[in-house]
Amino acid sequence: MLQKKICMLGSFSVGKTSLVRRFVSGIFSDKYQTSIGVKIDNKTVEISGEEVKLLLWDIYGEDRFQKVQMSYLNGMSGYLLVVDPTRRETLEDALDLQQRVKESKGEVPSVLVLNKSDLLKDWDIDSDRIALLERNGQIVLCTSAKTGEGVELAFSRLARAMLESPA
Amino acid sequence: MPEQAQRRAPALHTVDSPARDSDSYEELRHLIVGPEQRGIAEINRRLDDPDRRAGDVGSVIAEAIEIRRRGDDASLASALAPTIRETLRESVRKDPHELADALFPVMGPAIRKSITETLRSMLESFNTALENSLSWRGIRWRVESLRTGKSFAEIVLMHSLLYRVEQVFLIHRETGLVLNHVVAPSIASQDPSLVAGMLSAIQQFVQDSFESPRGDTLGSLTVGDLQVWIEQGPHAVLAAVIRGHAPGSYRVTLTETLEKLEEDFALPLAGFQGDSSSFRAATDRLAALLETQYREKHAPSRKPRLAIAAGILALIVVLSWIVYVTVQARRWDNFSRSLASHPGIVVTGIDKSGGRWHIRGFRDPLADDPSSELSREHLASTDAAFELSPFYSLDSTIVLRRANAFLRPPPTVQLSLKNGALVVAGSASSRWIRKLDERAPLTPGVSSVDTANLRNENAVALQSLVLTFPLGEATLDGGQEATLARARNEILALRDLAAATGQTMTVSVIGHTDSTGIEGNNLVLSRQRAERVSALLFPGGFPGGAVERAGVGPSQPLRPETTEEGRHLNRSVTFQVRLSPTAPAS
Repeated sequence: MLQKKICMLGSFSVGKTSLVRRFVSGIFSDKYQTSIGVKIDNKTVEISGEEVKLLLWDIYGEDRFQKVQMSYLNGMSGYLLVVDPTRRETLEDALDLQQRVKESKGEVPSVLVLNKSDLLKDWDIDSDRIALLERNGQIVLCTSAKTGEGVELAFSRLARAMLESPA
Repeated sequence: MPEQAQRRAPALHTVDSPARDSDSYEELRHLIVGPEQRGIAEINRRLDDPDRRAGDVGSVIAEAIEIRRRGDDASLASALAPTIRETLRESVRKDPHELADALFPVMGPAIRKSITETLRSMLESFNTALENSLSWRGIRWRVESLRTGKSFAEIVLMHSLLYRVEQVFLIHRETGLVLNHVVAPSIASQDPSLVAGMLSAIQQFVQDSFESPRGDTLGSLTVGDLQVWIEQGPHAVLAAVIRGHAPGSYRVTLTETLEKLEEDFALPLAGFQGDSSSFRAATDRLAALLETQYREKHAPSRKPRLAIAAGILALIVVLSWIVYVTVQARRWDNFSRSLASHPGIVVTGIDKSGGRWHIRGFRDPLADDPSSELSREHLASTDAAFELSPFYSLDSTIVLRRANAFLRPPPTVQLSLKNGALVVAGSASSRWIRKLDERAPLTPGVSSVDTANLRNENAVALQSLVLTFPLGEATLDGGQEATLARARNEILALRDLAAATGQTMTVSVIGHTDSTGIEGNNLVLSRQRAERVSALLFPGGFPGGAVERAGVGPSQPLRPETTEEGRHLNRSVTFQVRLSPTAPAS
């Protein structure tokens, strides 16, 4: 069976871990994240008739004090870039992080996830900016870790993008 | 050729003018040297174009070097050496790990071989010393082995060398994805892909957190008695989960396996895109890492045999002890019973305490010595403590023994017991008979005394005396004073005995004659002879007794009168004595 490493990236408290928890049932406690900054779960998905085992590296959210350790991203096949649309700065931080990832790891398939779609009325985000990103080829999806909406889709879109990617 | 013919034709038509001459010459020259000029120009272009020149040299350079090498010419190596040296130096300067990764499969074994050779001799002597040492710890482990029933080898392994390689992971270094995973039988394991991922995350965490230069990696993790040994190759990571303490040689085994895997799976590793199916072929080699440990654990041991021998020895000792104790108890029992069969000894109990056998009961002072019985049963007298109280036994043997001790009979007297009566037979002096009369009734166990067969020596002696007379006379033959004195003494002794024993003694002095002469005269003569002797014995009368004098003539001859000597002995006086109980005074 094919295995792929994917990373969950995004600012602190955007809901990365909640998304993973929605998606899988893992064996490790969340406390690993606070100790070494990463927690790993896996989930097998079926893409175009082929089973793919996704190893999800849920990486500690970035904040002012702690940047993502780029070595955790070694060998990843794709990543979910998670944004909390109710906090405008998380998009900027995410795009900044994405730029650093590109510099360090080159072009790697990614999906930009606008989480917390259940709080649509609180969104505070520049929709033109999102539209521009989409026009530039960035896959953008809305999810809700709370209701589960779009979660499976986000992972399977990423998986498909990874399989189609030449790398 | 047809083209050249055509070109020559116009030239022939223009020879008559100078301009035409010049053109013609040029044309001619062109015709003659043109091809050569084009060739030279082509060569010049080749020489001027470094790319083409490089291409030309490149196409033959390998063959050229090969030809020089075959020529056994060292100048090529000398010429290339500085360049190669510089190339290597530059490569290392740019990125040392590239060269290190390339040399990894070669350097590891070479370095290890050298180190192993150096350490081998040292380790061997150390191991021998360790095995042969009878340390306190070794003894303690042997005791523990006996106590728990486990083999000595197992105890040693449990304390020092017991280890079990429970899982082995082959992990792709860059992605942290698991390539292969083996697990020992009956070991529960978590999802290997997650564990492999976390192991590489931890690896990266440690490297980043402690700013370790690339190449320095986490070698092992320890949690209680669980260890994870990690070996990193350029593309793959080998992680072994070990319970207990594996020997250092196991690290070498891990490294060697990883090197072989890096070598054999070089292509799949370099181009790994998440498909681990090609690494299934590594399963056997990974499983061997589990087996290596398995063989160690079941190393044969000669220690259990020692334990069994010790057990058998202990059993023999215990059995021998039981047999010894049983035999001893039986001997003491026999001793007790045979002791009780001895007259004058009563055994009331026998038991062991304080390391000695205590025999309790009663013993007559005249009974046999009980110690003599010990030696017959092969028992040590020091093991016996006799607690026998003295008593008077009424056993006939002891009563007889007591009578003999008490009465001290002369050798001419035999004592025996019959229904409690002491039977005294033989002859004894009046003196002893008097003692017998006094003491015998006082002897414990003697109810009466039977003296029917006991003769008085004084009476016998008196009754054997003969005093002779001349023919027809009542006067003694001369020279019989001594006989007369003896008769007197015997009579006096008998008188004393009778007085002491409360009897009445009657002495008869009897006169005899031979058969010659007239019967009436002989009776008178015999009476005279008795009177005569009686008067000689006790001139003043006999004190304290009765003396009867009687003349029996020739009626009781002492000898047949066939000879003169017989007739002479019949002319005599003899004595009879009779002791009879004194009639109570009325």
